[in-house]
Amino acid sequence: MHSPMEQFEIKRLLAFHIGSLDASFTNSALWMLIAVALATVVFVFGMSRKAMVPGRLQSAAELGYEFIAGMVRDNVGSAGKKYFPFVLTLFIFILFCNLLGLVPYAFTPTSHIIVTFAMAATVFLGVTIIGFAKHGAHFVSFFVPKGVPFVLLLLLVPIEIISYFVRPFSLSIRLFANMLAGHTMLKVFGGFVVMLGLYAGWAPLAFIVAFTGLELLIAFLQAYVFAILTCLYLNDAIHLSH
Amino acid sequence: MKKSVYSALTAALVVGASGGAQAAEGGMPQLNFHDFAPQLVWLLIAFVVLYLIMSRLAVPAIADTLEKRQAKIQGDLDAAEKASEDTRAAVDAYQKRLANAREEARGLTRARSEADASSATAELTKLGEKLTAQVDAAEQRISGQRAKVMEGLEDMAHDVAADVYAKLAGSAADKGALGAKVAAAAKGSV
Repeated sequence: MHSPMEQFEIKRLLAFHIGSLDASFTNSALWMLIAVALATVVFVFGMSRKAMVPGRLQSAAELGYEFIAGMVRDNVGSAGKKYFPFVLTLFIFILFCNLLGLVPYAFTPTSHIIVTFAMAATVFLGVTIIGFAKHGAHFVSFFVPKGVPFVLLLLLVPIEIISYFVRPFSLSIRLFANMLAGHTMLKVFGGFVVMLGLYAGWAPLAFIVAFTGLELLIAFLQAYVFAILTCLYLNDAIHLSH
Repeated sequence: MKKSVYSALTAALVVGASGGAQAAEGGMPQLNFHDFAPQLVWLLIAFVVLYLIMSRLAVPAIADTLEKRQAKIQGDLDAAEKASEDTRAAVDAYQKRLANAREEARGLTRARSEADASSATAELTKLGEKLTAQVDAAEQRISGQRAKVMEGLEDMAHDVAADVYAKLAGSAADKGALGAKVAAAAKGSV
C-alpha cells in the first residue's frame, strides 16, 4: 500500500534547467497554474459582462473582491488601498490551491513548507521594507512598547523583536501544517477503508466524508488567516501600532 | 498552535507507521531540498501572473462595476425620491384646487340664496303694497257707495213719508218740516 506521504511527492513532469537552476515543471507547478487559470476564469471571464445584476460567477468574483476589500479597509485603513491587489492575489491563490488540493488525485502546492514560507517571507520582507520606507529609523521604535518602565523594557524589547522575526515562520508553518495534517488524515483513513473492507470500511469512509467538510472549512480559513495576518502586519508597518 | 502540534503528531505517526522506507528516503517530501528550486520558480511565475491578472484586469473591472452599480442605485433612489416629491406636490396642488373650488361653490350658493331671498322679499313687499292699495280702493269704493245708498235711502224715506202723510192727512205735507223729521229719524236709526 502507498504511504500517506506519497501524495506530497514532487514529480517532475518536464525536467529542465535554466543555467544551474532547476526550473522543472512539476506537479506542484501544474496545480499552481490550474489555480491561476481557475481564478482567471472566475475573476476575468466572470466579470466580462460587467452586469448590473450579476450572475453566479460574477457574484463570486464580487464577493471575493468585497471580502478582501473590507478586510484591508477595516484592518489597514485607506493607506492599505495600494496593497489591496497583492492581498487579494495572496488570498485567492492560497484559497484556490487549498480547495483544488481537496480534489482526488490533485496536488496541494500549499502543503509544502517551501511554498508557504516563500509567501510568508515575501510578506515579511515587504512589510519590513514598507515600515522603514514610511518611518525610516523611527520604525525601530515599533519594538519599544510605550508607557512601560525601563526595567520591563529590558525584558519586553527582546520579546517584541523575537515575536517580530518569528512572524514568517508562524505564518508559513500554520498554513503548511494544516494542509499537511488534513491531507495525511484523509489518506490514513482512506487506507483504513481499504484495510477494513466492505464490512467495517464504512465507518472510516463516513469519517472521511465528514472530515472533507471540515477540510473545506480549513481550506478557506487558512487562506483567510494568511490574508488577515498580512493585513495586520501591514497595519503595524504603516501605523506603527501595537 | 494546537493545530500545528496536532499535525506534527500526525506526521510523526504517519512517518513512524510507514516504516523505514520513508526514513531512508529522508522522511517528508517537504524536506527534500532538491525540489525547492522548481517549486519556487513556478510559485514566482504563477503568483506574478495571477497578480498581474488581478491588478490589471479583475480589480479595475470589479471596482468599475461596483461603482457603476452604486451610482445606478443612487440615481434610481434619487429619481424615486424626486418622483415621490412630485407626487406629493401634485396631491397638494389638487387638494388646494379642490378646496378652492369648494369654497367658490359655497360662495356662489350663498350669493345665489341671498339674492333669491332679497328678490323674494322685494316681491313680497310689492305684493303687499299692491294688495294694500287694492284694499284701500275697495274700502273707498264701499264707503262711496254706502254714502250714495244712504242718500238714496233718505230721498226714499222723504218720498215714503210724504206719500204716507198725504194718504193719512189728505193734504200735502210741509216739505221742510217733514224733511227735518225724516233726517232726525234717519240719524237716530243709523
